[in-house]
Amino acid sequence: MRGPEPISGERASQDSLYEQAADAYGGPLDRLARAYELDAEARRDLLQDIHLHLWRSFACFDQRCSLRTWVYRIAHNAATGHVIRQKRVRDRLVSIENIETMPGSDQNELAASQSEALERLSTLIQRLKPLDRQIIVSYLEGMDANAVSEITGLSPANVAMKVHRIKNVLRRWFGEGGLHAK
Amino acid sequence: MPSEFPMHDPQNIWQTQTTELFKMSANELRVRAQQQQKRARLKAQFSMIGGFIVFVFFAWNFSKAHEVVPRAGLGLISLWGLYFAYQAYKRIWRPTPDTALDATLESYRSELEKQGDYARHVWRRSGVTFCFLGLALVVVPGLIKSIEHPGLLMNFVPILVLLALWFVAFFFIRRRDRQKLQREIEALRAFETENQG
Repeated sequence: MRGPEPISGERASQDSLYEQAADAYGGPLDRLARAYELDAEARRDLLQDIHLHLWRSFACFDQRCSLRTWVYRIAHNAATGHVIRQKRVRDRLVSIENIETMPGSDQNELAASQSEALERLSTLIQRLKPLDRQIIVSYLEGMDANAVSEITGLSPANVAMKVHRIKNVLRRWFGEGGLHAK
Repeated sequence: MPSEFPMHDPQNIWQTQTTELFKMSANELRVRAQQQQKRARLKAQFSMIGGFIVFVFFAWNFSKAHEVVPRAGLGLISLWGLYFAYQAYKRIWRPTPDTALDATLESYRSELEKQGDYARHVWRRSGVTFCFLGLALVVVPGLIKSIEHPGLLMNFVPILVLLALWFVAFFFIRRRDRQKLQREIEALRAFETENQG
């Protein structure tokens, strides 16, 4: 049986890049996994998968984009693959435009607590198609249109339009609206 | 300026949720990557062993058979077993895809498309045609004989039933796998199109 492979300079840099990314984006990656998987055990597997993809990807990280963009791109792709493989989940997903125009999709009462609000937010995210999910998660992480555009590959104008729709939906779900929205 | 979300700001809710700082050590990651590779190799090794068993079993029968046509059939199946083992061997030593790119959906899709393409041409690529031809050469002369001596047909019944079951299972599983693969490829394409639109 072969022993562990010797660690070359490239490998060391791959490891240190991964360390750097995991330290800086550990929390956001956990939140990202929550956006794609509600079940705690499956989420843990997904998170491990994301970290494995990430570590592998650093073997050829050419620094043409920022570390943050790279980390999110790889993580979203790995998580999207996870959603796409689940046929039952995949078939129920809708776009943000669908939710925006869906009658009765408003939440008629304001969330009483922070945790209830988070649950509501998670419910909304879980209903979205992968691309819209990438955008809403990036928006919630506080990224601007250019950063989201780099991650998703959409044009900044398209991202801005999507974010506008996301904000509309969020306003209906969380804004002053609530009970008095209509 | 008043907040758009005076009660609960979604960005704030999202960013302040409790998270777990998950991290894997480089060794752990390396081990997991090796495990994945090992699993793929093990699968290919099983196929290789299977191919060798087929080769040895039918070669042994080939050496015992006296009639020309069944003998040719046995030889053909035996050679197919060897070819099948060789294909599995090639799979083991095929370089792994670019480790960095395999996280992207595009490369994942192209890998699935390759699998789909292989499944479509499995008759040619894995030489199944020769296997079936060999089986036909073994079975058909026996069946012809059994017309003259109906008692002989009874000897063939178990193998014919097994063959029929295998045939049905082969086509059923292959069709199901291909449909599953196709659905996954289509979902990925739709996602990519949406992303470009």
